[in-house]
Amino acid sequence: MSTTFLPCSVYHENYAQDHGWWQTTFITGKMILLAVVLLGVIPYFADMYSLSVCNQIGYTILGALGVQLLIGFCGQVTLGHAAFIAVGAYTSTLLILEFPWPKILITAGLAYPISILVAAIVAGLWSVLFGLPSARVKGFYLILTTMAAQFITVDFIITQYVSQIGGRGQAFSLPPGTIKIGPWVIDNDLKVYYLMLVLVIICVIGIINLLRSRSGRAWVAIRDNDISAEVMGINVVWYKLMAFFVAGFIGGIAGSFWISNLAAISPEHFPWFWSLWLVGVILIGGVGSIHGTVFGSIFMVVVIELLQLAVIPLADIYPKLLIDFLFIKEAAFGLAICAFMIFEPNGLAYRWWQMKNYFNLWPFSY
Amino acid sequence: MIAENGAKDSDILLELEDIHMAFGKVIAIVGVSLKIRKGEIHSVIGPNGAGKTVMMNCVNGLYRPQQGNIFFKGEKINHLKPYERAKLGISRTFQKVEVFGGMTVLDNIRLGRHIHLKSGIVSGSLYMGKTAREEIEHRKFIEEEIIDLLEIEHIRNKPVGMLPYGLQKRVELGRALALEPELLILDEPLAGLNLEEVEDMARFILDVNEGKRWQVTCLLVEHDMGVVMDLSDKIFVLNFGNTIMDGTPEDVQSNPEVIKAYLGEEDLYATRR
Repeated sequence: MSTTFLPCSVYHENYAQDHGWWQTTFITGKMILLAVVLLGVIPYFADMYSLSVCNQIGYTILGALGVQLLIGFCGQVTLGHAAFIAVGAYTSTLLILEFPWPKILITAGLAYPISILVAAIVAGLWSVLFGLPSARVKGFYLILTTMAAQFITVDFIITQYVSQIGGRGQAFSLPPGTIKIGPWVIDNDLKVYYLMLVLVIICVIGIINLLRSRSGRAWVAIRDNDISAEVMGINVVWYKLMAFFVAGFIGGIAGSFWISNLAAISPEHFPWFWSLWLVGVILIGGVGSIHGTVFGSIFMVVVIELLQLAVIPLADIYPKLLIDFLFIKEAAFGLAICAFMIFEPNGLAYRWWQMKNYFNLWPFSY
Repeated sequence: MIAENGAKDSDILLELEDIHMAFGKVIAIVGVSLKIRKGEIHSVIGPNGAGKTVMMNCVNGLYRPQQGNIFFKGEKINHLKPYERAKLGISRTFQKVEVFGGMTVLDNIRLGRHIHLKSGIVSGSLYMGKTAREEIEHRKFIEEEIIDLLEIEHIRNKPVGMLPYGLQKRVELGRALALEPELLILDEPLAGLNLEEVEDMARFILDVNEGKRWQVTCLLVEHDMGVVMDLSDKIFVLNFGNTIMDGTPEDVQSNPEVIKAYLGEEDLYATRR
């Protein structure tokens, strides 16, 4: 399902056109429309609640991209991605709170952007550390070693040691005005929304570019057949670790982005369930597809929000629903995954691909 | 094509010297020595379980022999990993097709260009300037040299996992060629193909071996005696890990030991025809 059919009368005259991103003017128009909607329409019309839902979607996309890269493109099943998001978030927070920044950088508003970059690199390296077992183990065994990453990082190191730095207690609160990019202080959902858009677009473009160049192909080759990948000249261990690095890098960006939306961070923001959730997102969206990551994120966040909206009026009749919402959420998550595994194992992205081809080939669909 | 007997040693592309390989107590090959000259098609034949594939795996590094040396272009390559040997110019296809099922035909062949490409994580994620140019140059190479040679234009954008077996074999050959190897190991390239596909594949092998553009030395493992006798410059016969003989097709056909071990008393080497 990697390539779509071109519509009638569209043909390429050179390889550059065939390698292009947007191969028809129709697609270019569609992308411009999408940009207008994302940059103009949504922020202008949406209320603060919808914007916060959008931010949640963006955060899920950033988190799930790394999981998609590892599971969907490199075949390394991971169940500990929240750990790397946590590492990103904590690195960024600690840098902002504890690092003796020169006055100049603080007034120029560079402290937070620099901390995002550093957090991404630290999370990437941390991820490589837990990717090392992938050189030896595969499949189910690797799942367990990545789960170890979750428990060692979040439940042990962060809760027991990192949280104690500075003597603030369990939660680190970020004073207003510390999250600042250039002249803009990120203090409301609208600004978080724009930051989210920029980061999501950069990360998605980066991953798509990687996947159509040498490293990305090596990852997919390792997923499909690691022995013949090695015979074709790919250093399998190196590329697996690279995949872990890039996944951790994006996880770090996700974590340090999310602190702009939270007043305080604590280890409870990064539970093991969040790692599992991200795997669910890519299963529903479609394993091995960037579209799938985005669709899955939108689907999961929106469905949970709709459930919440549905539960509130029902709670007047049956008040216990509100208390039980956490469990309803988890049950819905499980049900959604079951349903997708049975009825559409290729995820939402496959449906999207079918739709696109239908319209491209219309009216002669043979 | 056959190098003269007195040729000097620089003509030897690959040399196996007294290779022993055992898995626990199962002895797969015993003291095998083999010299392959540049430009040859050197076949390895033998009954099932003779150790042919083990020998191939030793050459390209998937197995490490317990004893013996492997030389490629005069250099000892015993310690090199498979991907390092690929960089030296050893490429192979597999007995049971090992293509990347989820990738398109084009991407499979592009992957074969891996060692010739240069972009890394950062330049790849930016995909500008050099990286984009590099991709286009290699695309040109793939289209003009490989896809055109193997006649797979019509399926270039199809996922390989969905193709029939014969075409998968062809894609696998294309991927191995994309590496621009000096030594191409073909592990049963004709197994499971129909007569027409066998003819095509034999033609591709000859093109690759004799064509001015390629001139790749081939190490061929095959059971189809008709094809083996027609294509090969030299044939190496293996039986239960032991060398029976190494010689020209005519010698092999008339050798009583080979007939006893493998070819059979009757005129069996034309089984397929």
